[in-house]
Amino acid sequence: MRWSVKGMKVFYAVLIFFTFTSLIIIAGIAVSLITVSSPIFMKYGLDFVLKSVWNPVTEDYGILPALLGTLMTSTIAILIATPLAISLAVFSSEIIPQRFRSFMNSISDLMASLPSVIYGLWGLYVLAPILHNYIMLPLHNYLGFIPLFSTKPTPTNLFTAGVLLAIMIVPFASSIVREAYAAAPYNLKEAAYSIGMTKWEVTKITLGYIKSAIFAGLFLALGRAMGETVAVAMVVGNVPNIPKSLFDVGYTISSLIANQFPNAQAYEYMVPALYGGATLLFLVGLIMNLVGLYFVRKVMIKS
Amino acid sequence: MRANRILILVIVSIIVVVIGLILSPRLVTHVTTPITAMTTQAPPTTEEAKTEAIYYGTINGAGATYLNPQMQAWASKFYELTKGRVKVNYQSIGSGAGQANFREGLIDFAGSDPPLKKDIYNEFQTKGGIIQFPVIVGTIVVVHNIPNVDSGKLKLTGEVIARIYLGEITYWDDQRIKELNPDLDLPHEKIIAIHRSDGSGTTRVFTAYLSKVSKDWKEKVGSDFTVQWPVDQLGNGVGGKGNEGVAAAVMQNQYSIGYVETAYAHEVGLKTALIKNRGGQYVLPTEKSVKSALTALTSILPKADEDWSDIFPDEIVDPAGPDSYPITSFSFVILRQKYDDPVKISLLKEFFEWVLTEGQKKENIVPGYEPLPPEVARIGLEGLKLLR
Repeated sequence: MRWSVKGMKVFYAVLIFFTFTSLIIIAGIAVSLITVSSPIFMKYGLDFVLKSVWNPVTEDYGILPALLGTLMTSTIAILIATPLAISLAVFSSEIIPQRFRSFMNSISDLMASLPSVIYGLWGLYVLAPILHNYIMLPLHNYLGFIPLFSTKPTPTNLFTAGVLLAIMIVPFASSIVREAYAAAPYNLKEAAYSIGMTKWEVTKITLGYIKSAIFAGLFLALGRAMGETVAVAMVVGNVPNIPKSLFDVGYTISSLIANQFPNAQAYEYMVPALYGGATLLFLVGLIMNLVGLYFVRKVMIKS
Repeated sequence: MRANRILILVIVSIIVVVIGLILSPRLVTHVTTPITAMTTQAPPTTEEAKTEAIYYGTINGAGATYLNPQMQAWASKFYELTKGRVKVNYQSIGSGAGQANFREGLIDFAGSDPPLKKDIYNEFQTKGGIIQFPVIVGTIVVVHNIPNVDSGKLKLTGEVIARIYLGEITYWDDQRIKELNPDLDLPHEKIIAIHRSDGSGTTRVFTAYLSKVSKDWKEKVGSDFTVQWPVDQLGNGVGGKGNEGVAAAVMQNQYSIGYVETAYAHEVGLKTALIKNRGGQYVLPTEKSVKSALTALTSILPKADEDWSDIFPDEIVDPAGPDSYPITSFSFVILRQKYDDPVKISLLKEFFEWVLTEGQKKENIVPGYEPLPPEVARIGLEGLKLLR
């Protein structure tokens, strides 16, 4: 008895130590983001967020195009990735034969762990031309009157970046959904089958049951999409303009950082400007997560 | 039911394999980024090191990505020559980051496309001084993707290139391009102007050239690692990350124009354009035209311990000489004059003396780079004597 109390104490001490370590790391990141980026906010104030310019020659920086580009590419990514990730999860837990399941799952997990530069190169050399010739050009030619498709596309643009991001986050999101799907109580399914429901209906019920996990998975995936640097930098077109259509070349905050950081120290305000971008990304991520949490709570209370 | 599943699985896997096969050769043929691996040799036995060497150790450098393949080649060759006695580590982190690390004393030498800026040079002057010298010649070519125009046929002037990137010339059949190319059938197609999106010495040199040949460019844009490209604001510009990004963008966008380091253009087979030099000739970066440019430059180059920021790149680009290639430039190595460790000084001297002499021989130069002429290499050799 005595021993186990001591064990408990040690356990708690270790737990508290590690919890505080990670809290301190997160706080440290926030603090350093704010302190390093403060010069740019002091110099330009809110203008830094609302301006569309990136001119190192005159040290004039505004992050708006990159911010909008980030929001746009991650929206495209999540819109495409959601159905794909859920389908993949259901396919690998319901339809595929048992003995191939672990094989398929490990392939999908392997995809999630591929370095993003590989996705970037593949996106640049393979995905971009295919999207350009078979999807973007036809859309522009036949539906160009819709503002969304009005720009004559080049192979690398915001849409390509969004699609590439979708492909990159599908394995990640689907693995979370899959785990949740597997953890759904078996009674639920058995009960559903026993009253004569079809597989489709049972799947629907199970998916409804794990709604909050699906949300959580997608929000994590969204975070990854917003933070992706190298892969996006290769396919987004890297032009700091405010996007007017899906097919415009653009920038994201993360790809701006990937592009500009190596030589940023040669300037007085570029490092603060890039950190300023990172701070905004941090804030956007925080807001997204809070909104996400709110939705998850709402869903949980309902069910 | 079961048979169906297996059938589905078989079909899916066949589709996956077929798609994989279709896509893989493209991937293989297009990914041509040079991979320079350090030769992994067994470390020398202590006996060997003792008998042959006075000093042994490691020197650490970092900086320009452009310099990286050549620096790795020199490092591994020198490692072989000294039988593992001198190991040179070079991290390709970008010129700006290399200079910053060097300033903080984190590395022994910096590789850099531009030399130190004036204020940083002056700062070092109060702290014992530095030396900076060219180690390799680099040229930049203007490339294009007009399907019916072959490589080395399109003629351009610096003025016209500037007007394209300014967004003033927007079509290939613009009168100002036609005038230069009466014998070419130029299409009425929009010019997509491709440029580097990452901060790079290549952009610094290219924009210095445009600033020198076009007053408008100098006033409206200027020259730097990254500039604000006017053509972007018209929606006709695309940024590519690195040489590979620009090359891919030029290949994928018909009727585009771009600029890359010559080595890279040859490697991936981009079509190059002739550029009019100061002597009125249309030239490509050949051995002859680069040599002519370097000869014209030799007289204006400062000493290794002097400030280079007034000269580079504004005075280097568009040199005199009837055959000179106009966008010729150098990559630099920057050293401190004082090191605490005498062994380090010997190692740095030994390595860079070799780089500036034997290292400039054809067999030690990576294809696409051009060796320094002896007169320019002498700048570094003289400078190395100042190390103490």
